[in-house]
Amino acid sequence: MNWVQVASSNLSRVRYDEKTNTLEIEFHGGRVYQYFDVPLHVYEGLITADSHGKFFGDQIKGHYRFTRV
Amino acid sequence: MATDPSRLGTVEDVKGATVSVVLDEATLSGLAFINGQGYRIGQVGSFVRIPIGYVDLFGIVSQVGASAVPERLAEHEAHGHRWMTVQLVGEGTRRGDFKRGLSQYPTIGDIVHLVTEEDLKRIYGRPDSPKYVKIGSLASSESIPALVDINNLVTRHSAVVGSTGTGKSTTVAGLLNTISRAGRFKSARIIVLDIHGEYAAAMQEHATIFRIGADEARKELPLYIPYWALNFEELLSVTFGDVPNDADRGGIIEGVTETKLDALRKKPRKGVTESTINVDTPVPFSIHHLWYELHLLVKSTHLRTGNQALDTVAYETDKDGNIIDRGDAMKVRPPKCKPQNTSKEAEPKVYLSQSTLNIRRPLEALAFKLRDSRYDFLFKPGDWLPDTEGIPKKDLDELLIQWLECKRPVTILDLSGIPRDILNILIGALLRIIYDSLFWARNLSEGGRERPLLIVLEEAHAYLGKDDAGPAAQAVRRIVKEGRKYGIGAMIISQRPVEIDTTILSQCSTFFAMRLANEQDRSHVTSAVSDNLEGLFSMLPILRTGEAIIVGEAVHIPMRAMIEPPPKNLRPDSQDPVVYDDFDRPGGWNREREPSDYAEVVELWRKQNPASSRIVDFKKKKKEGK
Repeated sequence: MNWVQVASSNLSRVRYDEKTNTLEIEFHGGRVYQYFDVPLHVYEGLITADSHGKFFGDQIKGHYRFTRV
Repeated sequence: MATDPSRLGTVEDVKGATVSVVLDEATLSGLAFINGQGYRIGQVGSFVRIPIGYVDLFGIVSQVGASAVPERLAEHEAHGHRWMTVQLVGEGTRRGDFKRGLSQYPTIGDIVHLVTEEDLKRIYGRPDSPKYVKIGSLASSESIPALVDINNLVTRHSAVVGSTGTGKSTTVAGLLNTISRAGRFKSARIIVLDIHGEYAAAMQEHATIFRIGADEARKELPLYIPYWALNFEELLSVTFGDVPNDADRGGIIEGVTETKLDALRKKPRKGVTESTINVDTPVPFSIHHLWYELHLLVKSTHLRTGNQALDTVAYETDKDGNIIDRGDAMKVRPPKCKPQNTSKEAEPKVYLSQSTLNIRRPLEALAFKLRDSRYDFLFKPGDWLPDTEGIPKKDLDELLIQWLECKRPVTILDLSGIPRDILNILIGALLRIIYDSLFWARNLSEGGRERPLLIVLEEAHAYLGKDDAGPAAQAVRRIVKEGRKYGIGAMIISQRPVEIDTTILSQCSTFFAMRLANEQDRSHVTSAVSDNLEGLFSMLPILRTGEAIIVGEAVHIPMRAMIEPPPKNLRPDSQDPVVYDDFDRPGGWNREREPSDYAEVVELWRKQNPASSRIVDFKKKKKEGK
């Protein structure tokens, strides 16, 4: 899946792999992280949320394992 | 004269380059206005001007107040706050050129003026010549650019010192960005030894990045250092280890030379002939093959007792007389041999090796290193790995092209995550290959003299210690001592200058000193700097972040400059772990605890590779999708 640009002070762009449920997030400044085992609806919630940064902080950060890429 | 607003006071005492000045009554207000601009009087670190005939002497204020009173006067001047001590640094003519050093001294009664912005422009400003690179602006007045002379900066070595978080890496990134800005210096050539992997992100556009275990998705190239490019001493220290006995050493030298000669006979190479080859010649040979042969000679059993050779090895055989396992040189698997048996009824008789070489232990050390995957960058260097015949796919020229001749001006060798003992060997080997190639090519257009190279050494204290006799320290010592003549310059960056060998530090002719809190570090730097500038260096603990005192040959006159940081997305990523995360990034203690999987922790530890196997390669996916 291609990058989806998000308007946020924190997140720069995101993409999602449905096969492995992996969510990749690029933050401003260029750091890229992959979150593992993120359900599709959470990803969809992230890109449709009013505030992507807040959704990330509430629903993703602290809920899924991640690695720096 | 009292009406001259720039007048500060008069010279009362001269002692070498140190001048004591008594301030005028009128200046006690502490503030002067010249051309509508306010100047604070008697700021430590500010400049003063002493006109003498047709020249102006310039000095830096190092002390103000009671302690600046000359000793003998101290008793009489109870209120000695009207004194000021000045260190003279240089002189300028009225026409505007400024130079370091003094041709004459001031005398008692000479009038001291404060230095206006006009004067500063005269001293610092040389914006017309493109050899000056702007790295920021003067801390005291933003309108004046801080310029460094790139000639002296590159070839005469420099040092960037400062405590953690004072902006060393940002300074270096800014400098590199300025130098490598498109079109400015088309043939610029810079190599960065990046111990913490900070620069890759910052220099993306200008740099080629090499890394052990490179990530091709990010356009990184694998970092290889072929072992056969090392000289014998270095090779010995990374392979066999210490071999104290001269005879054993000689045996190994002979083995290496013979193996090199064999490979050369099979594939002749320009510049070396069978009669000129020696153990140090950088031609390919198979160290795996050398190990195998030495193993056969030294550790195997043989079928006869005199004249043992490779064809007398007693390989173990099965019932039908077939050899079970000859071993495998490339896989570092020793052959299976028959046990020793010299009893009368034994047929055939099997004898122990009679080799006079006593190198069983060094041989084991070699085998161990050849098998250790952490050393793969050295012993299995991709296309530069010679086969058992000693012939690799590529020769050194293609390696040098990668490092020195890439399209981008900066080459970053990302050495993050490499164990420290290996790091030292790696840096030593790397620097020697670069130095030797540019040294011998010094008359060519590719060579260092015609196209100098700047080597940036990050975190230098990690491998340039005082008593460090490791290969890295040796290589750097050679560069700082002799590199200037051959166009190889070092920029040494450290937060702990006191741990760096004094001979190395004192060869650096330009210093960028950022905030340094530690007393030892400060005095170490002060003593390494040739100028008489203790007053200036006493400011080191109170510099702001991003502020540097620049002294030495790359600048006309010492300056306190605010370094211009590169744009935010091009700043080096210091990657400090976060404890409290302000920015809602992934890490920090202030987050819910996600599920954990320590099985993967162990997996990565065993793999000795921090890249998770779960990482999805989106680019690859996309291609498959198509």
